[in-house]
Amino acid sequence: MRSFISTMSVQKDGSRPHETEDASAVLPDVARDEEVEGQVLAAIADGASESVLAGPWARLLAESFVHAAATRPNTLRNRRTFGRAVLGVVHEWEDWLAGYVADREANDRPIRWYEQPGLDRGAYATLLAFQLAGTHGQRWYAAAMGDSCLFQVRDGALSRTFPLDSAEEFGTSPNLLNSRNTDEDLIAERVRLTQGSYREGDQFFLATDALAAWFLAEKERDGAPWDVLRELACSGTDEDFADWVTKQRGNGDMRNDDVALVHVDLG
Amino acid sequence: MAYSAEISRTNPTAFVFLVDQSASMNDPIGGEIPQRKADVVADAINRLLTELSVKCAKEEGVRDYFHVAVVGYGQSVGSAFSGDLEGRDLVPLSQVADNPARVEERPKKVPDGAGGLVETTTRFPVWMEPVANGGTPMVRALQYAETLVAKWLADHPGCFPPIVLNLTDGESTDGDPSTAAVDVQTHASADGATLLFNLHVSASEATPVTFPESDEDLPDAYARTLFGMSSTLPPDMRSYASQQGFEISDVTRGFVYNADIASVVQFLDIGTRATDLR
Repeated sequence: MRSFISTMSVQKDGSRPHETEDASAVLPDVARDEEVEGQVLAAIADGASESVLAGPWARLLAESFVHAAATRPNTLRNRRTFGRAVLGVVHEWEDWLAGYVADREANDRPIRWYEQPGLDRGAYATLLAFQLAGTHGQRWYAAAMGDSCLFQVRDGALSRTFPLDSAEEFGTSPNLLNSRNTDEDLIAERVRLTQGSYREGDQFFLATDALAAWFLAEKERDGAPWDVLRELACSGTDEDFADWVTKQRGNGDMRNDDVALVHVDLG
Repeated sequence: MAYSAEISRTNPTAFVFLVDQSASMNDPIGGEIPQRKADVVADAINRLLTELSVKCAKEEGVRDYFHVAVVGYGQSVGSAFSGDLEGRDLVPLSQVADNPARVEERPKKVPDGAGGLVETTTRFPVWMEPVANGGTPMVRALQYAETLVAKWLADHPGCFPPIVLNLTDGESTDGDPSTAAVDVQTHASADGATLLFNLHVSASEATPVTFPESDEDLPDAYARTLFGMSSTLPPDMRSYASQQGFEISDVTRGFVYNADIASVVQFLDIGTRATDLR
């Protein structure tokens, strides 16, 4: 089946674009509203701003997960394989971090005393990974740690939300993946897994918490947030999306936070 | 709603610490460990500046969500920073973090992995030294804070309101501080009035009175004066204090009387708890 994939992101007000701590990755790696055939893999991750290097950790998680799921199709269907995949990313992170520390030394900016406690604690991020299998009887699979959400829309109505169901569920402390956590059992225990079927015309949205909370609140007000986002994803520019986010924040309808969105359109 | 402004690098707020450096700060603090009050307060301020720096540290450096002044009052009234920051008033947190006067190695006990403890050392940055001589010119100290706050608000009219934290062990020796306290609190941003919190360090074994909602249980007129000078805690600090196990209501004041070491630390922790960092 063919699909159209778009990814978008906006940093929080007061930050510069490169400071965003939300990340997304898709496979095949395509630009905005581009047509692909067959399997689609997507992931979004929301780095916790209280931690150091949350942005790079979120980017590594999202990138590594789409590749892990491409190599081992069971990654999102089984707690054990999910846990093992996270462990793989934690090991990748160790190498990345060693390189980062060496670069800082080489650039005469060694790690300062106030950074060390944060590095010792590790970076934290949510993760939502999604697989639309091209060959398995039109099934999709998703795995979530934390409050980044997946929405499935069919025939102009919201048919699935995962892992949160209502706007009021946001705001408590979400589960997070820590860059130093090698407790595979704990990760396997905490991850939420789900699956479903898809058909032509369906739409999927992967959104980090501020946008996901807006989406569910809009739905609860009998709105059709999927139409708004689809329009922005398919016809708008990155600037249109940023302007729209700024407007929602200004109206008090969206929390000022980094935003990441992946839209998979089977229309 | 007041006290809900986001704190960001483009909209930072200010902390002004007023530290009593009068001669009586040489006396030991109440409680089990006989440490000089001046040492306890200086340690607590230095530790708080360390924690703020770590909390605001990102990979590019410490973010300037806060500007910080440490003002001593005793023989004189003025900046209590030592080292490269000597004489400076409100300093961006990144410059605070990069310029401790010195870094001490202090002993610290950590788990040895076999159920016991092993002694190691930890790095302890120092920005202010303990000082104790002269009187307690609290009125002048509050006036000094008022000047800093007024200037800050002229430059940052939309900020989360500045927070002034006064740590003292005795009665003002230059007059009733009540009017000067009100004057500090009349300066406001669009998000609310300047907050003034007061802590009284005890030399006695009396039980600390922490975050009271009325002056009924306070022992004397002096304690009631300090209570009257203290702002009510804004919502985010109330919920944080409540999480820390304090009984909190809508009229709870940022005030601690007869503080021991633990309540000095709690006072600073709760009184600087501004959560909405962006």
